[in-house]
Amino acid sequence: MIETLPLSLLLLLVCSICSAKESFSERLVLSPNLDGTVTASFAFTTLLEGARPRDPAALAEEDDSQHYTLFPLALGQILRDNAITELHLTLNAGKWDYQNWGYPEEEGVGTGAELWAWMGEGAVQTADERWKNLRNALAGLFCASIGSLDEQRTTSPALTFQPEGDLPLSSTTHALRHGTLPSERVCTENLTPFLKLLPCKARSGIATLLNPHRLFDADWHGMGVHVRYLEGAGIEVRLAFQAVLNPVRYSGDKKRDWSMTSLFDRSIERSCPVASSSEIAVRVPPAGGAITEPAPLARHAGFAVYDVKHVDKPIDVGMRWPEETQFEYSLDAPQSALMIRRRLSGSDQYKGQLSVVLTNKAPHEVKTSYLETMPWLLQFYLHSLRVVCDGIPRDDLVSIVSYTPPVPHARPSLLQAVLTLPANSTVQLTMDVVKPFLRYTEHPPDAQRGWDLPPAVFVPLGANATGAARLRRVYTPVLLVDLATPDFSMPYNVIIMSCTLIALVFGGVFNLLTRKFVVVALAPAAPADT
Amino acid sequence: MLSMNFDIAFPSLVAGRLALAYLNLPDTLQHDHQLSTPLTSYPRLQEGLYLFHNGVDPYSGGLFRHSPLLLSLFSTVLPLNRHTAALLWTASDALAAWALVQIWRARQQLTAKTPRDSLIAAAYLLNPYILLPTLARSTATFENALLLLAVMFACRGKAAATLLTLAVATHLSLTSALYLLPLVLLLLTTPVSHLASPRPYPYALQDIVKRAGPFMVEYTVYMLVLAGAATLASGGWGWVGKTWGAVLTLPDLTPNVGLWWYFFTEMFDHFRPFFLMVFSIHLAIYPLPLSIKFQHDPLYALYALTGVLATFKPYPSLADAGLFVSMAALFPETYAHMRTPFPTALVHLHCSLLLPLFHHLWLGAGTGNANFYYASTLVWGVAMGLGVADAVWAGLVAGIKGAAKKGDAAGACAWDGWEVAQE
Repeated sequence: MIETLPLSLLLLLVCSICSAKESFSERLVLSPNLDGTVTASFAFTTLLEGARPRDPAALAEEDDSQHYTLFPLALGQILRDNAITELHLTLNAGKWDYQNWGYPEEEGVGTGAELWAWMGEGAVQTADERWKNLRNALAGLFCASIGSLDEQRTTSPALTFQPEGDLPLSSTTHALRHGTLPSERVCTENLTPFLKLLPCKARSGIATLLNPHRLFDADWHGMGVHVRYLEGAGIEVRLAFQAVLNPVRYSGDKKRDWSMTSLFDRSIERSCPVASSSEIAVRVPPAGGAITEPAPLARHAGFAVYDVKHVDKPIDVGMRWPEETQFEYSLDAPQSALMIRRRLSGSDQYKGQLSVVLTNKAPHEVKTSYLETMPWLLQFYLHSLRVVCDGIPRDDLVSIVSYTPPVPHARPSLLQAVLTLPANSTVQLTMDVVKPFLRYTEHPPDAQRGWDLPPAVFVPLGANATGAARLRRVYTPVLLVDLATPDFSMPYNVIIMSCTLIALVFGGVFNLLTRKFVVVALAPAAPADT
Repeated sequence: MLSMNFDIAFPSLVAGRLALAYLNLPDTLQHDHQLSTPLTSYPRLQEGLYLFHNGVDPYSGGLFRHSPLLLSLFSTVLPLNRHTAALLWTASDALAAWALVQIWRARQQLTAKTPRDSLIAAAYLLNPYILLPTLARSTATFENALLLLAVMFACRGKAAATLLTLAVATHLSLTSALYLLPLVLLLLTTPVSHLASPRPYPYALQDIVKRAGPFMVEYTVYMLVLAGAATLASGGWGWVGKTWGAVLTLPDLTPNVGLWWYFFTEMFDHFRPFFLMVFSIHLAIYPLPLSIKFQHDPLYALYALTGVLATFKPYPSLADAGLFVSMAALFPETYAHMRTPFPTALVHLHCSLLLPLFHHLWLGAGTGNANFYYASTLVWGVAMGLGVADAVWAGLVAGIKGAAKKGDAAGACAWDGWEVAQE
């Protein structure tokens, strides 16, 4: 009896792990844009039903063994080892054009790498240690330089990066860690490990279309890994890929007609057998004139929907504008309600000015949060922050929520503010900045190129901030700062020359102070003259 | 000029200074790396005050490195704006010039006003090395004024005032602590010039220790009280590492006229602590030998020390050099014995043109590289080194020639066929 009790418990445990249900669904949204491009948003979602994030307090104990069938094991191990509740990693290349492409399906479109994670506190290992482990593990998993998202780039902007899922209530407080690496480039070497995490790899289903030759030739492309915990459902992993492809550029006759074959050079021949749902949604432009081929299974809310679950012949969805002989670029650029421009001015390598211009086209007042997570490579003079609204000084339009000043060689600055944009107005923020001087070992090999600075993130709070729909983030393009460089060939020369000067002065003074003075006759022959 | 009445000359000099402060000059000069350093810069002071007013600890970041005393002064007693700044910085310079004149009078044992007073004041107020940092609203102006006040009190034998003023000066700039030894010796003796008649120190060593000891203790007490006040004012010990710590660890590598910044920009990481230690100890070597050699005239030892610190301190600006140059006006008896006054002046002229020019070429126009500016700071170092060595030489030779004059054989004859040399 005593011997069988632990055995039966173990059996029960194994069974409970075995019975953890997993479901996989995939979805592709194709939407033609105003400038003739097509945005393709892939989302591969795996739900580990009934699972909970690991309790950080139990980190010291041995973890349960992990058995997954669909859930990516490599990612699951990283999440369990560091007790991560929510994780978002995006690797993007290009500047997202909100004017022409609209608001993206996947909202993390900041250039470069961005990683943020919510994790429970109260573990033996601090949140910062686990954050470091997480960075290094993900860097290894995705072949990216996320490992260099170190303390010099890590902040905790909890106002802008709210959890997208739920935080387990039983656990202690949760901490946010966020870092951006705008100079990171995304390429095939990142896509290959990404595809390995999918249950059908790129062999069947929608993932067939992830052809690196076409994706990395796109006007904009980016991938993302999103892990969140949904109370009552389980842990959800969403692997996302987003690309803005340009059929006008690909086609010989300057037409914007596209099909999967023309965009991805592939069509879907087999469905992924383990996918519970697998659908393609094509946004039909309201302007009309476009024909979607083949005829969709269903249409709703402006989308033509195709089911890839039961494929009997290769699917090649496309769209034609038969009345157009050539695509005409619209001359008057479409204008969204909120336009944001951010730039760094000043030619000096030790000071400059940061300016953000926001244009509110809406007929009502808009409030937006403003986040800067600036590495110490650019330091703000916050006292010089001025706000001008349509030429009139209006310092009352900005209210600073929190500010963490930067520490050279150690910590970035974090500025969280809320801006009020009056109806139909242009608001300009200006702030003087200091460009610091780095040690010669802190410069990258291509030091003269300058440093990429992370994007600013705005979250328009909406006219009625009831918070029914989740607030969406808007990223600005990255900035480049030109920092003064020392002469990298000089270390020995500088040590030698500075020390020589010091030795000369020191020697000169101590010579005078220590040696004895004597009076000498200059001309011993002088008496002979007289 | 010489015959100009001090009562007219001094106010008019100060008024002219105040008029300059009201031009737009300060706004353009305040970012200049020659005139103010990260430890004395006016925009950084404003940033610190702004953060302090908005409930952010200014010492949690790396931009603000001013003393908490300045922080509490400007955040409570005196709000800092264009007008108060112009008045305060001018007043500080006027006070420093007045203190310099008082030191001169004490040294010459004058009770009445002399025409030379105006010249001494002008040597301070018209010195471009002093004038420009003041216009740039560098807080080095306050450091200079406090040091001159401390010297003035020491000349008058007021121990408590001297030590308190020096403690405040040390609080603003840690390197000022090195002035303690010559100042205490000055307190124990007289400011009257004994350069031409060197004599051993009037007290035995045990006697000096016995007399100077209480002063050292008093100074330490003042320092502790000020540190406590600073901690209360800034709400934590964070200021220690950010203000005094910066002097020892050089976290901010912004260029200045000194020798440290480029050396530690180019330094190999594993040697950085070693060389930081060497450079700091190098500074601390000077006070004792200078005080021993000039034991007959501690004021002169202090003067030589201002030159050494202006050359070698971690974050020097032109204001430090200006103090050394202006204090030279106190010692006219050494002018005749200087070896290279003219070349030194020419090198100074050379680098006062070179420094802003090469700074602009490197950081503004982008047509030169860092070595341009580094080279001009080396020339500046040579200029300062020449000045210091010449001051020490002239001070010592004045003693040799003076002793010889008073003594027998050689003193009787003229110095035509004789020369002073070192063994």
